[in-house]
Amino acid sequence: MKYLVSGLFLLLTFQAVGQTAKEIVKKADDKMQGESNKSEMKMTIVRPSWKREITMKGWSMGREYSLILITAPARDKGSAFLKRKNEMWNWQPSIDRVIKLPPSMMLQSWMGSDFTNDDLVKESSIVHDYDQTLAQDTIISGLDCYKIIMVPHENAAVVWGKVIVYIDKVNFNELLVYYYDEDNFLVNTMILSDVKEMGGRIIPTHLEMIPADEPNNKTVIDYLNLEFNLHLQESFFSLQNMKRVR
Amino acid sequence: MYFILAWRNIWRNKRRSIITILSIAFAVLLACVMRSLQLGSYNRMIENAARFYTGYIQVHKNGYWLDKTLDNSFENNAKLINTIANTKGVKVAVPRLESFALASYSTKTKGALILGIDPIKEDSLTKVKSKIIEGEYINNGDKSVMVAEGLAKYLKLGVGDSIVLIGQGYHGANAAAIYAIKGIMKFPVPMQNNQTVYLPLKEAQWFFDAPNQLTSISLVVDQAKNVDRIVSDLSAHIDTKALEVMGWRDLMPDLVQGIEIDNISGQIMLWVLYAVIGFGMFGTFLMMTAERMYEFGVMMSVGMERLKMQFIVFMEMGMMASIAVLTGIGIALPFLVYYHLNPIFFSGESAKAIENFGIEPAYFFSLDPVIFYSQAWTIFFMAFILGFYPLFIIQKLKPVEAMREAL
Repeated sequence: MKYLVSGLFLLLTFQAVGQTAKEIVKKADDKMQGESNKSEMKMTIVRPSWKREITMKGWSMGREYSLILITAPARDKGSAFLKRKNEMWNWQPSIDRVIKLPPSMMLQSWMGSDFTNDDLVKESSIVHDYDQTLAQDTIISGLDCYKIIMVPHENAAVVWGKVIVYIDKVNFNELLVYYYDEDNFLVNTMILSDVKEMGGRIIPTHLEMIPADEPNNKTVIDYLNLEFNLHLQESFFSLQNMKRVR
Repeated sequence: MYFILAWRNIWRNKRRSIITILSIAFAVLLACVMRSLQLGSYNRMIENAARFYTGYIQVHKNGYWLDKTLDNSFENNAKLINTIANTKGVKVAVPRLESFALASYSTKTKGALILGIDPIKEDSLTKVKSKIIEGEYINNGDKSVMVAEGLAKYLKLGVGDSIVLIGQGYHGANAAAIYAIKGIMKFPVPMQNNQTVYLPLKEAQWFFDAPNQLTSISLVVDQAKNVDRIVSDLSAHIDTKALEVMGWRDLMPDLVQGIEIDNISGQIMLWVLYAVIGFGMFGTFLMMTAERMYEFGVMMSVGMERLKMQFIVFMEMGMMASIAVLTGIGIALPFLVYYHLNPIFFSGESAKAIENFGIEPAYFFSLDPVIFYSQAWTIFFMAFILGFYPLFIIQKLKPVEAMREAL
């Protein structure tokens, strides 16, 4: 009887603590995304000899819809990027034109940064398009972390061959992500830090993307403001609204 | 005395001599025209290329030549401009900012080379003002552009329409703007004609978000042959860690190589031609010797020394070759001078076909003296070598046998 009780107890604890890797990733993903969100951010492109800052506002709804409006520098102010499912448009007020980004441009740099257009569009979900497995735990800047190795499904439209993500055990924040290509070479490293409360959630607000082949380059994104669950409508992410949104 | 003998010998058998002279002269004519055309075209190609793209000398940032992007541009400063302007032989320094962008009008879009220029200085190098076929030339302060005719045709736009330019600027900045078209230019080289857009430098610097940056400074020099000296002079005075000075031979290696290859094929043709002439000459020499066996025999029996006879025969051949070469050049020269001054331009279908290869559809002729004296030297050299045959025959001649055989 005694054994049975303790056995049951053990089983229960396993269920509480021993969540699957998929659940951990889903929690982290939901946390950053929300049902919808609105953000203000500053992107800094850092190169050995120069540096450029771009500030922008972003709206997104799930993985499918997002809208980015550039607010500075002045010459680019008002241009906007709209993503609907796997398509992407660019609005350029200075030439009064909407440009649809062709698939051939998807792997090009987005606004000169270390992000590609594809990184913005990526319809792939770190939850559904990958097989996640737990590897051993680690500690990153004093926080206990899960190390999760994610390999994309065979048919998933994913550019990576493997992704390793470290997720904080308490707040379920991604803290470090390694992106590998299909030959298992490291391509990008993303470091997330400055965890603090923003929009009612405790999240990392400083994000650095470092390409492996050019370690002196990086792109930094700082979140200035975040709001979650705004109940945006799909109609918000329209070509018309892209030209209007402020 | 020997000279008169040789001269009379030539004209004793007029028909034979004239045939020999004409065959050599014709070959010289052909060779001259061919070489003149080749060298003329090369000069024109070099001049065209230098006058459009780079100038004879170009100054740019180290590394720009291998990776021609805006990020490899350099800052324009007064000190640099002064250094360049004060170098002996430099007439004008032409600043440029160039990069690629998409040019678009209504629903059509095409990749274009966007050239930011100083309108006045640019004209002194590329004579771009004379390329205007419609509208006007841009001024320094304008916010308008000039478009090459081929591109304008493709986009279906004309003077007064607005062209949209979209691209990536300096350091990945976003470059998008709309400009009125002030002029349409026509270039002879199709590659330029189908993709070039000219902007005032200031406007291009704004468009690419590259304030005060230049991708290159092209130099107009007083004489093309001074290029190497000016390159080394300039390199000594500027910071060669940051900037690089290049002469046209380095700037246009593909052109130089293309010319070299074409030149070699031209030379092979020339050698084939020379071989044909050579055998022709040998034929006549052979004929002449055989024909005159009796004469040689008689001469020798009456006491003419072998050496003197050889000398006269040799002189005959030298004179014949000289007359032939002079005739050939004499016929070629008026034609070449005329066509040098009035190059042959093609028109219609054939012009289009040639244009598609990226070559200007015209024939240009050079009057470089090397064309003429290289022909003369070759012919003389051949006459000299072939001339040993009759000398050899005379050397071995036995008068009695010679006279008997000849009969």
